[in-house]
Amino acid sequence: MSTVGDARIKVPDRIGRGEIITVNSIISHPMDTGFFRTAEGKPIPAWFIKDVVITYGDEQVARFTWTSGVSRDPVISFTLKADKEGPLTMVWTDNKGGVYRQSVPIAFTAA
Amino acid sequence: MATPDPSSRRTFLRTAALAATGLLGSGGLDQGERLLAAVSGAGPDDPEVPNEIVAKILQDISRGRPITRGHLSLDMPTAAEDGRVVPLIIESDLPMTADRYVKAVHLVVDFNPDAHLAVYELSPAMGTVSLSTRIKMKRSTWVRAIAETSTGELWAAYARVNVTLNGCG
Repeated sequence: MSTVGDARIKVPDRIGRGEIITVNSIISHPMDTGFFRTAEGKPIPAWFIKDVVITYGDEQVARFTWTSGVSRDPVISFTLKADKEGPLTMVWTDNKGGVYRQSVPIAFTAA
Repeated sequence: MATPDPSSRRTFLRTAALAATGLLGSGGLDQGERLLAAVSGAGPDDPEVPNEIVAKILQDISRGRPITRGHLSLDMPTAAEDGRVVPLIIESDLPMTADRYVKAVHLVVDFNPDAHLAVYELSPAMGTVSLSTRIKMKRSTWVRAIAETSTGELWAAYARVNVTLNGCG
């Protein structure tokens, strides 16, 4: 995790239809508050993810509004009721217009 | 210490009248009393509202509705050595069904530069409320998680976290 915007989404290896699963995500981002300075005394401008949209199939299931108070390389875990097969997509948007997208398939284990 | 009954209509009207006439802050009620009165429905065991910024955030979330402790848990360390990375888990036993669900969870860190740290808008498709993340904290203070349901109820959980290293600059 070094390039800004590199993101990973982790879902369980085996998913049963209707199961509530935990989704773990991480994205590489400095989440600079704008309050710090470099060693040379130059101010470091605020640069942080402000918006995260989560889509499952064609349905938006969650949206997070963040400030620079979220730690560097933000992690967020949430639950999802796996009731259909389809992509789970997360889109992170930062305050400088950077848009970062990552997607994983939700597919059921054969019963 | 005399604490006003937060549900007192008289206290509310008095505060509203003082605010309307621009007298708020010029005496009459001491600061703690004013702030408590400003946030309707604050229970006696709830953490004190420390300043106008937090009072305004809570007012914007509640819009006059009571915020009641319960149905939500906020799991955080009581002592966080590094304020740059403080883990938290928010969970709830509230239903997540099509006709009744938690539509948003607000995270408020009282003495942070940006006290209204995050809003998590949720939907029934999530099945339950279980969020975990890591945040920055400037100093020791209360952290508030407030859930708003689709039916307009507000449920809260509070955690007091002692911070050794300022994580906000």
